[in-house]
Amino acid sequence: MLASLGAELLKLRKRPSTWVLGSIWLAVIILLSYTLVYVLVSNTPPPTVPEDTPKAQKEQLREQQQELREQQLEILFPENVVFNLTPGLPSLGAPIALILGALTVGSEYGWSTFKTVITQRPGRYAVFFGKLLALGIVLVLLVVLTFAAGAASGYVIAGLEGAPIGFPAAGELARATGAGGLILAVWAALGVLLAVLLRSTALSIGIGLVYSFALETIIFNLPIQSKAFRDAREFFPGQNSTFLAESFSGQPQGGFAEPPVDAPQAALVLLAYAAAFIVLAAFVFSRRDMD
Amino acid sequence: MTERESPRPPLVETSGLGKRYASITAVRDLNISVRRGEVYGFLGPNGAGKTTTLRMLLGLIKPSSGTAKVLGEEPGSPDGLQGVGALVESPAFYPYLSGRDNLRVMARYCGVSHQRVDEVLSQVELAGRARDKFKKYSLGMKQRLGVAAALLKDPELLILDEPTNGLDPKGMADMRALIRRVGHGERTVLLSSHLLGEVQQVCDRVGVIHKGELVTEGTVDELRGGGGILVKAEPLEEARKLAASLEWVEGAMIEDGMLVLDADPEKAPEINARLVSAGLRVSELRSVERSLEDAFLELTRGETI
Repeated sequence: MLASLGAELLKLRKRPSTWVLGSIWLAVIILLSYTLVYVLVSNTPPPTVPEDTPKAQKEQLREQQQELREQQLEILFPENVVFNLTPGLPSLGAPIALILGALTVGSEYGWSTFKTVITQRPGRYAVFFGKLLALGIVLVLLVVLTFAAGAASGYVIAGLEGAPIGFPAAGELARATGAGGLILAVWAALGVLLAVLLRSTALSIGIGLVYSFALETIIFNLPIQSKAFRDAREFFPGQNSTFLAESFSGQPQGGFAEPPVDAPQAALVLLAYAAAFIVLAAFVFSRRDMD
Repeated sequence: MTERESPRPPLVETSGLGKRYASITAVRDLNISVRRGEVYGFLGPNGAGKTTTLRMLLGLIKPSSGTAKVLGEEPGSPDGLQGVGALVESPAFYPYLSGRDNLRVMARYCGVSHQRVDEVLSQVELAGRARDKFKKYSLGMKQRLGVAAALLKDPELLILDEPTNGLDPKGMADMRALIRRVGHGERTVLLSSHLLGEVQQVCDRVGVIHKGELVTEGTVDELRGGGGILVKAEPLEEARKLAASLEWVEGAMIEDGMLVLDADPEKAPEINARLVSAGLRVSELRSVERSLEDAFLELTRGETI
């Protein structure tokens, strides 16, 4: 399998779409999560208050605004990179991971390259798991780069603001990297499974994105009152991705006042999804005729 | 190619091999054997089941019935594939990678050194264009890269599926020369083709497949048959009777004013002497050799390729 891993890493490294997707992802992080927020917070106009407002009250409003601005800026500082970026992973990172997973496998069907690869000797399981391992490495790198890009952006902002510079605790960063990697892995595994089942890239990306962006939300919000349905909603992959990611923000999770699922349970549900997607995809890949 | 004399243990052997797709039978009860060191031509019209058979031998698709052994192993097993190089249908590579990088990827999969990549690139005369992207290659270059990938493991058995398909005449000639080069020595080549001339030029033995079934298997000479002798003599009927009485003449018939003898063409001088000594006037006598095309058309009842 190490031979297959080496081949897969070479392909991923040389493939332009890997770099394009990674660059888009990092650009989105830096632009939307840091640059745009910083520009908006820095340029917030002072509150408009009626002329006859007492001076003390005006002063109080100004202080409140200043406090709010400092809080918003503080989120952007490097020590809060986990708090700032992890909750956004399901909405921004999941589609990228899904596309990467579908591309990694689906393109091989499109180019008919599986027949060339398989006849070279490695064995179907070695090819499949080598591919997954390489994909996993890329996803973990993506999460690490996400935090690195966030920390670097925060470093610049803290410098501009003259604020003291700190970094998150190593343990917190490791937990967030693990959680982020798991979230991306689930969606990449879904992309892989769809690509294996459909033997196509475009269709698997289309179906995967429709599910992640629309279908799960529609099903989640169906006005069904039964307890079984409410319980079932706690096992949706999108919801559990959100529960796990937002557990790093300290905010209410998934729109719930009380999170219905805690982080360890969400992680377990996601692990189960990732394992199921991978086992099913491997089974189909190993058994089906390679046309 | 020189014909090998003694039969050797088969490198590829199938027994009752079959493949069904829903209601369509692509291959039925196929029994072929490819001997070590020979160039075996797998000949048949388009859609006869050649590619399906090769895919089964490589483990890309599973047979519906029967068994096959390739280098003594189950088709598609890593141990068996270690000694097999293959080009199945059109060459398939990563369009965004160069020719060399594509081979580097394949070399990693089969565990051979990168040095071997440069060797096979030279062997197929692609070294000068190795840095170009695969998507920029001409069809002939793509086919040669496919052969290069098949040669990476320096395989005992080379399986080439219609390697000249889609090539212009020069490309076809170059590819045939390449096949002759890589098929020398102890290497065994299983070459599928629908081009009779190609098989006749390159192969030692041939298996003819038609509508999923093996019609015949043998050397090119065996398939073509022993040929015959054409005689123009007067009186013709007397000449026929005399020829038919000879024990080495297996058949004698009159067609279009000529006597057609089913006999070894090397016996032509002897038949001439017999006829002349019997007082018959011989005005024309020549040996005829059946082409592989004649044999093929006879075997497949005239279906075009």
